[in-house]
Amino acid sequence: MESEIERLRKKVENFPSASSYNRLAELSRLAGDDGDAERVCRKCIKEFPRNGQAYVILAEIRLAQNKKPDAVQLLQIAIERDPRSYTAHRLMADLLIADGAKDQALAHLRQIVTFKPNDPAVSARIVELEGKPGKPADTAPTVVGGAPVARRAIPTAGATPATPAQAVASTQPSALPARPLPATRVSALDALCAESGVSGALVADGSGRTVVARKLPAAQEELLAALASEVVRNGAAALSTVGQDRLSTLTVVGAQGQMMAFSRDQRLTVIVLASTQVRPAMLELRARQVLIDLGAG
Amino acid sequence: MDELLQQLNHVRGIGGSMLLSAEGLPIAAALREGTDENALAAAAGVLMESAARLGRHLSLGGIGSLSTAGDQGALLILAAGKSWLAVIIDPSANLALLQLEARPFVERISQRLTL
Repeated sequence: MESEIERLRKKVENFPSASSYNRLAELSRLAGDDGDAERVCRKCIKEFPRNGQAYVILAEIRLAQNKKPDAVQLLQIAIERDPRSYTAHRLMADLLIADGAKDQALAHLRQIVTFKPNDPAVSARIVELEGKPGKPADTAPTVVGGAPVARRAIPTAGATPATPAQAVASTQPSALPARPLPATRVSALDALCAESGVSGALVADGSGRTVVARKLPAAQEELLAALASEVVRNGAAALSTVGQDRLSTLTVVGAQGQMMAFSRDQRLTVIVLASTQVRPAMLELRARQVLIDLGAG
Repeated sequence: MDELLQQLNHVRGIGGSMLLSAEGLPIAAALREGTDENALAAAAGVLMESAARLGRHLSLGGIGSLSTAGDQGALLILAAGKSWLAVIIDPSANLALLQLEARPFVERISQRLTL
């Protein structure tokens, strides 16, 4: 990874492009150097001010620092600069959901549907949210879709914040008709969770974010999705060293429980927490059904 | 140790095996030609480190085994003392059965490592 970082560093010096800056910042983050990633993002923003992804990476850095309101402000800017930024809308939706602002989160997810209509993860998340009671949006939504906006200061680590729900009101995308999957498409996950010994399950997308979850406490949901997705990525990498290019199942067995992951193409992964008595093969059919129902089977 | 791994490889359905340290360094290997033992050890080490992190955060307890399967076979990693035994499984093999067959080897390896 270090050599790739050096290669990109030379590239942005000699032939700078927004995508090279973004990649360099992401690799710096992966290498654990958030300070460097932030410097790269800020330099990128100076040279390519309309590059929304740099703001998303800065937002992720702020989230890692537990500065959620700063992250929200950065995501607002990202969406203003690039109204079709999938990651910005997804991350904003996740933050709003955590904040209880379900309707505002739905608006962001529906915005994604307008430019990426067949994303099963987003469609399933919309279904999930539509069936879950939450705080109503307290502000009428307004459109930002690509309109020129005044340049804003990038929030720094010490910036003072509004709550995420208040902060996003100004950049709330318009409520657009969703094209959600029928609710029956997540019923296979309910059936899986009803199996004896299963303590909870979720479906995570390729970025390690929860799409649908069942029987898991909210705090555990995000942690499980992120950690299990990391294990699945590493599992796929290990498999590739022995000449196998596609991971379909992964099981981690601990002394007090086990985690099973079922995937087809790593776009969506079904992750199950269960007791050690549960046999993975028993759950595999149900997990495959979940993937099929969500369009990733 | 190499001899033990060779014996393990005689079990039908096993396509190679390797012992690696918790840090992802190869200790002993009996792999098919063309398999890069350093790459496998490093990838397995990273994988087990992330699995251990998951186990800690989700209260799964100490990780005893991890299996990951694809269309063309599987990789089984078993705790052998403080090290890991990685076993490459052929696509037609029964993973659960091989896991049982590998257990006695794990015990023997663990004993040798503690000598």
